[in-house]
Amino acid sequence: MARRIQENPQLDMTPMIDVVFELIIFFVVTLTQCNAKDETIRLEDGRHGIELTPEEMPPTQMTVDVARTGRISMGDITLTPEQIGQRVKERKRKFGEFPVLIRADKNARHEAVARVMNACTANGIWKISFMAIHEHKAK
Amino acid sequence: MARKPQDNPQLDMTPMIDVVFELIIFFVVTIKQEDIFSKLNANRPAPATSSASEENDTQVKIDIGSGGLVFNGRLMNPKQFDQALREISKTSKSAMVTIRCSLDSYHKYLVYALDTCNKYRMFNVSVFTI
Repeated sequence: MARRIQENPQLDMTPMIDVVFELIIFFVVTLTQCNAKDETIRLEDGRHGIELTPEEMPPTQMTVDVARTGRISMGDITLTPEQIGQRVKERKRKFGEFPVLIRADKNARHEAVARVMNACTANGIWKISFMAIHEHKAK
Repeated sequence: MARKPQDNPQLDMTPMIDVVFELIIFFVVTIKQEDIFSKLNANRPAPATSSASEENDTQVKIDIGSGGLVFNGRLMNPKQFDQALREISKTSKSAMVTIRCSLDSYHKYLVYALDTCNKYRMFNVSVFTI
């Protein structure tokens, strides 16, 4: 049963294109889930701060969200200050000194922000940054 | 039922172009234009070092309460506060700034104070909670 040789063989690109599109959609969807954050947070303007470019956000950086209600979260998972402290401790053991960025709502009370800062200082992180809006894009 | 080989097979691009346009439209519609963010750095002083200060540095103390920014014992609006820090920045660039926030103060005042310090190149800022 010999396979008949085609005179002018052509590679069918259709399945490859299908698979490529599937992969693109998969990565777009999963990437959005990785960047999950508290969408209710409204930040204060901070035009004179350091612009947050990808270089200013090292992979070791820890971002903690503080909502107007005082809810503390990371990646949209609600955490207690003790749990934040635990995460800081683990991260410090792995990476040493690392930056902490607090993304707090402009109308959040300082009490909630202080809880996060205390969790950091209790575990040896003294340098803390606050996120603000450098430039408005969304209307 | 053998498939008849075509003499001159051509890849039909039309469905692919259709799908590509659909995807472009989908992403254009769903994409959100994000704001550009900034970060404002601050130090959280250790309790042992909080009282230690260098004599030759200018000390700037800012209090933040539920009502807003208090500087030199006076409640200030953002414009007055900006002006006060500008005056200090003229005389001392390496001023040590201490921001003391009360638990019931709003976070926006702290961000505003830090932003104004950055504006006048005062980067040695410590944040306390009282």
